[in-house]
Amino acid sequence: MPLEGLKGRKALVTGAASGIGASIVERLKREGVHVFATDIHPVADSLVADLTNSEEVEKLSAKVGTPDFLINVAGGPVAPTRAQTLPALPSKSLLLEDVDEREWSGVIAANLTTAFLVCREFAPRMKARRFGRIVNFASIAARRGSDRVGVHYAAAKGGIIGLTKTLALELGPHNITVNAIAPGFIKTPRIEAAEWGNASPGFIEGLPLKRAGKPDDIAGVVAMLCSEAGGYVSGATIDVNGGWYFGP
Amino acid sequence: MKVAIVTGGAKPDSIGHEVVLRLLKEGMQVVVADLYEEGFPSLRQCTCVRCDVADPASVEEMIGKAMQAFGRIDVLANCVGGSWGITRKDLIASPPLGFRGLTNCSLEDWRTIVAANLDSVFYCTRAAAPHLKKQGGAIVNVASVAARKGIPPGSEGSSGPYAVAKAGVMGLTRQLALELGPFGVRVNCVAPGVIASGRLKRVMALTGKERGPEGPFSTIPMQRVGTVDECAALIVALCTDDTSYMTGVTVDVNGAAYAA
Repeated sequence: MPLEGLKGRKALVTGAASGIGASIVERLKREGVHVFATDIHPVADSLVADLTNSEEVEKLSAKVGTPDFLINVAGGPVAPTRAQTLPALPSKSLLLEDVDEREWSGVIAANLTTAFLVCREFAPRMKARRFGRIVNFASIAARRGSDRVGVHYAAAKGGIIGLTKTLALELGPHNITVNAIAPGFIKTPRIEAAEWGNASPGFIEGLPLKRAGKPDDIAGVVAMLCSEAGGYVSGATIDVNGGWYFGP
Repeated sequence: MKVAIVTGGAKPDSIGHEVVLRLLKEGMQVVVADLYEEGFPSLRQCTCVRCDVADPASVEEMIGKAMQAFGRIDVLANCVGGSWGITRKDLIASPPLGFRGLTNCSLEDWRTIVAANLDSVFYCTRAAAPHLKKQGGAIVNVASVAARKGIPPGSEGSSGPYAVAKAGVMGLTRQLALELGPFGVRVNCVAPGVIASGRLKRVMALTGKERGPEGPFSTIPMQRVGTVDECAALIVALCTDDTSYMTGVTVDVNGAAYAA
């Protein structure tokens, strides 16, 4: 059975060029959703924008109009730049003293400011329409902490959870749901390319579901939240981690 | 063909009943386990079994009948629950008047409510687990926002023991996720807020229109109660491959009334 409430709707997916974002684009298209994809990393059929810059967010919104579904995937443990739009992930754990102020600001901006600016741009239009589904991306790094990705990423993703709960309260009266997904270990091509992408067999065996996640595992939950099944779910952070950690 | 068991699926206008209809649409064989036999005639496409989920022998018998009929179990949706309307004698009654908190409920209230809401999930899961483990599958439990925030004194239609039992269901969900994950059986839970079921309507008939067991509807950020359809669609999604990497999770479905 196809999911109810998706066909014919319009979605904007940020961070759509690769990994989880790309998988969400494919999934929503399969459900008959008209999808706008955006990323700082240029790929075919996507709108290039640096979402840490409010002017670029405004330009993007002129092209997109009012989406029904806003899926804020943009982010990652390393901030992209114009020169390096899809930066490689570090091969080692990032310790507190290794994070300088520039990296701190960059990662907060790439993960948290982007979601803030994009929500601020599109939510008023959703309010005018009295319909919207916003899905933000937190991380297991915000739920259990992380011994890998660094404090900046964990802090930014924790910020996403606060932003999500606050927007759920603020936008609820306008029939807009706001939720977050907190993925666990998801084997995206970028993670696979990093050294720690090859998680030890012991780690994988220790997960209740005994496997790493796939981008499609996340796309299914996004589709669920946009469908009828997500109609009364708001303010929630949903852990999709194979049983690794039972937040909050 | 996949086989699903839904407890508490026979009463019309209930979350469980809507789950049954949706699993049928997904093409599954559905076994409905319920005390409400009056609902069986309208569920002809299902195998309906009279079952008291608070009685382990009755549960064993029900699972036995499901296995005899279909030879496999893929999905278990534990939808039985509530503070009242959970024993054969008060199944279609109005809610009892007065707040039953932990400090003023009777021991019988405690035992009946914990048995229907928590013991039942333990019995059904234990009986079904060996069959689910053979090929993998999904279990979905139904908790409540009451488990997150308690039931405020003075509320009608719910109870203190209910809030405690539903918190137990969340813990049971996590424990079973660890035990059954290695066999490809995912265990998740939904925690509904105020849902416009037949049961809510009976509470509203008693208390006036704009108030559920957890308080006035105007305090819900989405400014409305949830529908049985929305809640059932979520339960069914937790049974499908859309949620293939989720286990041990409780999804709150409460219109932003409480963000855990």
